[in-house]
Amino acid sequence: MSTASPGIVRLTDVVKDYPLGKVTVHALQRVNLTIEKGEFTVIAGPSGSGKTTLLNLIGCIDVATAGEVTVDGKSTGKLTDKQLTALRLNSIGFIFQSFNLINVLDIKQNVEFPLLLQGGMTKAQRAARVDDVVDKVGLRQFASQRPNELSGGQRQRVAIARALVTRPAIVLADEPTANLDSVTGTQIIDLMRDINHADKTTFIFSTHDDKVMKRADRIVRILDGMLEAAGLSEARASGVIENGGGVHA
Amino acid sequence: MGVLLSIALRNLMQSPRRTLLLGLAIGLVTTFLVLLLSLSRGINENLVTSATTMSAGHVNVAGFWKPTTGTAFPIVTGVAKVREVVEKSTPGLDYVVERHRGWGKVVSETGSVQSGLTGLVAAEESRFFDRLILAEEKEYKDGGSEQVLGDPRRLSEDDTIVLFAGQAKKLGVGVGDVVTIKTETMSGASNTADATVVAVARDLGLLSSFSVFVPKSLVLNLYQLNDDTTGALWVYLKDIEKSEETSVIVRGALIDAGFLLRDHESNPFFFKFEAVQGEDWTGQKLDVTWWQDEVSFLTWVLTAFDTVTWSLTLILVVIIAVGIMNAMWNAVRERTREIGTMRAIGMTQTRVLVLFLLEALFLGLGATTAGATLGAAIALGVDAARIPVPSDAVRTILLSNELNLSVQLNSLLTAVVFLTAFTGLSALWPAIRASRLQPVKALTHTE
Repeated sequence: MSTASPGIVRLTDVVKDYPLGKVTVHALQRVNLTIEKGEFTVIAGPSGSGKTTLLNLIGCIDVATAGEVTVDGKSTGKLTDKQLTALRLNSIGFIFQSFNLINVLDIKQNVEFPLLLQGGMTKAQRAARVDDVVDKVGLRQFASQRPNELSGGQRQRVAIARALVTRPAIVLADEPTANLDSVTGTQIIDLMRDINHADKTTFIFSTHDDKVMKRADRIVRILDGMLEAAGLSEARASGVIENGGGVHA
Repeated sequence: MGVLLSIALRNLMQSPRRTLLLGLAIGLVTTFLVLLLSLSRGINENLVTSATTMSAGHVNVAGFWKPTTGTAFPIVTGVAKVREVVEKSTPGLDYVVERHRGWGKVVSETGSVQSGLTGLVAAEESRFFDRLILAEEKEYKDGGSEQVLGDPRRLSEDDTIVLFAGQAKKLGVGVGDVVTIKTETMSGASNTADATVVAVARDLGLLSSFSVFVPKSLVLNLYQLNDDTTGALWVYLKDIEKSEETSVIVRGALIDAGFLLRDHESNPFFFKFEAVQGEDWTGQKLDVTWWQDEVSFLTWVLTAFDTVTWSLTLILVVIIAVGIMNAMWNAVRERTREIGTMRAIGMTQTRVLVLFLLEALFLGLGATTAGATLGAAIALGVDAARIPVPSDAVRTILLSNELNLSVQLNSLLTAVVFLTAFTGLSALWPAIRASRLQPVKALTHTE
């Protein structure tokens, strides 16, 4: 990977500090990272290492203290709140650890919600798009149920569908399997992986689960706010995952 | 917008107890406001009815006649010519009646009352007889029947009188009894006349305490006036709303016809006496007013009542506003992560603001509509029940012997719109705070 490539995501000398009382916490320190379009990237590291902070900056829900974050060709530090909101809506899909679905809406409505925020589509077009992604995550029979009527795995599938429905350039997932059992977690990662292969959607997710890391194209390790390595996945290097995806036992 | 409406409605239903309690409070204040507004409208209607039956036409052409600079009498001379000008110049004229004015003591065998004497020509009157509601005998006579006795149209006969129930009770007389009227003529001599009570009308509040009706001929006799004089010409219009503008037109026409007129003064004729007596002129000056001028001394009742109504409502509304703000703060706190999620997936600050305001407005609209409906139902029920007012003081304020509540659509709309808007305003600050939450902080918020 060339550092000269613009990438779908590029962080240049990014610093993120948090004031904590009289102390300043250096959450990220001079981070440089480029992620190419279509990559399936894991941000790996222990709790408190800065994974979530990194994802928040890429997701445009937080701003860097210093340095430059470029997402989908836009330098986020120069954008207004309205422009950042538009960038999140149109270019980024979010999958949260705790699913974060809107409990008063049913599954279809949750998935449709970002499309309604975007506007510009007819009801029929929205319905077709929603049906498509709900099918893709295997929840057609649950479409009219509320989130609290579903299992954790099913809720995360809804979150994935919601993240994908706008066909974003990037999907960010913050520890998407942390609240799921290992079998369900594996299924969720496989689902994301399949979508990545099928649609070339860029996936960036954080985890500290080794089993999840093994399914990534690339692992970016982070410790104490600094990147340890940003290269080809150890998994791919060790031959667990072949080029083009697919899990090998 | 559809999805925001849907989320707002469903969020309200997610917290049924909170929604119900807040809605109940807002609804009850709306009911209270609707009842007070209905009472205020009722008083206003009583005022209009009383005023335009007993004190004034829609437009009045009265006058003062001064034989010397130091004396003044409330009479119009040469009335035929004045009437001709008025009838020709009044747009939207319904009809004109003459009212003779006097003041005297009405005496019976057991009592007496001071009262204004209103002399009328029964053949000219239509509205007066329509509006005058006769009292049941029991209303003015101990052990009286529920029968309505007498006929006010017998005022067409000489030496007759129509009393109000309160006066008849005080005098201890009923229909068919004879009372004596004692007055003072313009020359200062006393004059009396007997009159037979031909009807007893139901009281019309304060104004009915100081009025009796007699034939025009009786007043002329008592004051020894000729036939071409009157107290005032009362002009009734097809549309009462045009009273004020018509009074200006009539005034101009009378000036054009060569009559002298006093400058307009928004007071009843008896308030003007002292000023007229001090003025340095003799002869006649006409005085054109409209009905509100003649009852302007009573409008304080309405002003005071409306002030109390809105003051009480504001106090209650402020208390409710605190409750709404508190509830909205709770909602924002409970749903901070949800706000963060919505902001993260692309909802703008404005939409978050609208979402929370919609919740408050839905709550307000639902509660105020229910409250206004309940208030209207109670008001209509109370009005239909014709509940008597036991206290003289309250009767004076209400200008009626019965509770008269008038439910009007604009009162209902005023209550609904005002309180719904206030509910929305109460939620504005929490909604602004919700919209300004940073997504990253909202997402990591813990209770």
